[in-house]
Amino acid sequence: MRLSFIRPISCCAVSSPTTLVKPQTPLFLRPPTFKTTLTDLKKWHLWAKSLASSVGSAFLNLDNGPDSNQLLRELNWLIEDAIGTPKSILEQPHKSRNGNSTVLIRTCLDELYVLWKQRVEERRPFQYVVGCEHWRDLVLSVQEGVLIPRPETELIVDLVDEAIKENEELRDGLWGDLGTGSGALAIGIARILGSKGRVIATDLSPVATAVASYNVQRYDLEEKVHVKQGSWFEPLRDNEGEFVGLVSNPPYIPSKDIGGLQAEVGRHEPRLALDGGASGMNDLIHLCDGAVSMLKPGGFFAFETNGDEQSKFLVHYIETKKQGSFSKVKMVSDFAGIQRFITGFRGR
Amino acid sequence: MDRLEVLSAQLNKADLWDDPVHAGRISREHGSLMNKVEDVMAIEQELVEHIDMIKLAQEENDPELELESVKALLRIRRNVKQKELEALLSGEHDYCSCYIEVQAGAGGTESMDWASMVMQMYKSWAQHKGYGVSVVDEMPGEIAGIKRATIEVDGENAFGYAKSEVGVHRLVRISPFDSAKRRHTSFVAVAVIPILGDGSTRVQINESDLRIERFRSGGAGGQSVNTTESAVRITHIPTGITASCQNERSQHSNKASALAVLQSRLDQLEMARQAQMNAQHTQSLTEISWGNQIRTYVLHPYRMVKDLRTNYEVSDPDSVLEGDLDDFILSFLSTSLDKDEE
Ligand SMILES: C[S@@+](CC[C@H](N)C(=O)[O-])C[C@H]1O[C@@H](n2cnc3c(N)ncnc32)[C@H](O)[C@@H]1O
Repeated sequence: MRLSFIRPISCCAVSSPTTLVKPQTPLFLRPPTFKTTLTDLKKWHLWAKSLASSVGSAFLNLDNGPDSNQLLRELNWLIEDAIGTPKSILEQPHKSRNGNSTVLIRTCLDELYVLWKQRVEERRPFQYVVGCEHWRDLVLSVQEGVLIPRPETELIVDLVDEAIKENEELRDGLWGDLGTGSGALAIGIARILGSKGRVIATDLSPVATAVASYNVQRYDLEEKVHVKQGSWFEPLRDNEGEFVGLVSNPPYIPSKDIGGLQAEVGRHEPRLALDGGASGMNDLIHLCDGAVSMLKPGGFFAFETNGDEQSKFLVHYIETKKQGSFSKVKMVSDFAGIQRFITGFRGR
Repeated sequence: MDRLEVLSAQLNKADLWDDPVHAGRISREHGSLMNKVEDVMAIEQELVEHIDMIKLAQEENDPELELESVKALLRIRRNVKQKELEALLSGEHDYCSCYIEVQAGAGGTESMDWASMVMQMYKSWAQHKGYGVSVVDEMPGEIAGIKRATIEVDGENAFGYAKSEVGVHRLVRISPFDSAKRRHTSFVAVAVIPILGDGSTRVQINESDLRIERFRSGGAGGQSVNTTESAVRITHIPTGITASCQNERSQHSNKASALAVLQSRLDQLEMARQAQMNAQHTQSLTEISWGNQIRTYVLHPYRMVKDLRTNYEVSDPDSVLEGDLDDFILSFLSTSLDKDEE
């Protein structure tokens, strides 16, 4: 395996999020001001179900995409998010409910047709369709231009939680989330920190910083989480050596694999969030290098990787190239048994 | 009534509030008994009023008034039935929410379809009663129906009622899956597990005894995959008991739901262990023997649902399958009450 150790070129280091991007309100938070009849809604539901069923396992076989069962489950969630009244009204075929009775929805019925078509025919990710992703116990706003946080990444918050429980000093210190995307990790961590604990979340993408700021605000965490725009450690120059913890899920997919990704990812999610250079490890290596000077002695780090190969490489890299800088470096696997994370501590 | 007098006497004692915990309990029990008594008296009064009203209406020849009163009487009847049901619930865990689990018997698609009909019956029943219903775990059949499913039924007395359903349910019908239109018999096993409240002692689970796996996660995972499927399965290694959940929208919530099911399964196992001294136990799916039939649903050649324990039967299977189960539950609960008193 040949790897390039070239530091990614950073283009801008604007430190305050000059938010020109306006974050979109997720469907479930919009007011239910649109009216339709039960009959029309049922008609849409039937149409949507049959569109989902027509997929069978075609996408699954093609690129590990969703099968009908999964799409049908998503359809239920779309209804859950779109309807103001309880969704069980659609499930009571025997009841003598009047077909003309009004149902309040959060977007117009035509739009529901468009949205479901986009989901199935264009493979637009479900989370962009409804504008949110349920992640841990959070509901995060997401939109095109921001990576949809993955279930695997939830575990980083548990890893941080464990580290804090072992060393309570970490609870009230400064944390960094590099490449924060929707703000998922920063928010998840901020909620387990103490009253003095703070998180700085950075991202190069203006859409990401706008959406992350919106999510931070929705969870009332403006006091705890500061979102800054810029490349990796650049917005953090003023805080060098002050961090008790750093987490990141940087882009780690090798460039050559981008073309073959599942349609929901390859066609719709931002390349900036996925492409980790030739080996996929450009950013991970840059982060390992930078963590040395950013972390306080005893500070904790947790990074997500593409899996076994990258994790092993990084542990080896740290042990040989960063000798003495870190201790207790190890790999941690996700629930699918893949070595997904590396964690460790800055030496004392 | 006797109990009420005892309580009233205690409430009137001057030194009652010297022991506030005891006093609180007495006054709560007194209050709740008083409410029940008042309820019954109110119903009695209403009943008398409406009967008088009907007599009057007939004398005055006022069909509108008569109809209204008859409607009111019907409403009272429903209400009384409900009260009667409630009075039958006195088991230690009856007040709890519960999980209802169904499992298709042998016979492939045929019984998997029956399993999903049974599940639908319980969902409608629970919704009618105003309970919260959510699907926790569901394993669909290849062609139709479900192999196995677990729903959570959330609300007061859910376990007390639903426990009447434990056992094997048998269906006789012309199979919609058989092109030769033959008659088929299918079986489904039903188990009900109480979700113990905070007051109860629950089995301690050690985090280190758990194995948590994600399933149906093909391929590389991580950034390469975008799926809304985040099912997890949790295994309690010492007992081998597992629980899974795939219907929540985040992996974290799926894990939490699966853990809650696992907790209740372990609690149930513990209750089963203690069952020798205590009849409060309902069987888990693995314990239910396929010989233990409790109810038969016949759609062909005639139409009938019959409970084999109480001999209660109705001739309208559709309404039962749409969740109209209260009469079956009521007759089962009163039979078991009579048995207990013997
Ligand atoms: C895989 S996404 C992770 C997003 C989020 N942390 C999560 O786990 O859902 C990687 C993120 O890194 C950001 N990124 C890419 N290059 C960057 C750079 N040079 N500096 C800072 N962030 C960068 C992307 O915009 C993207 O939001």
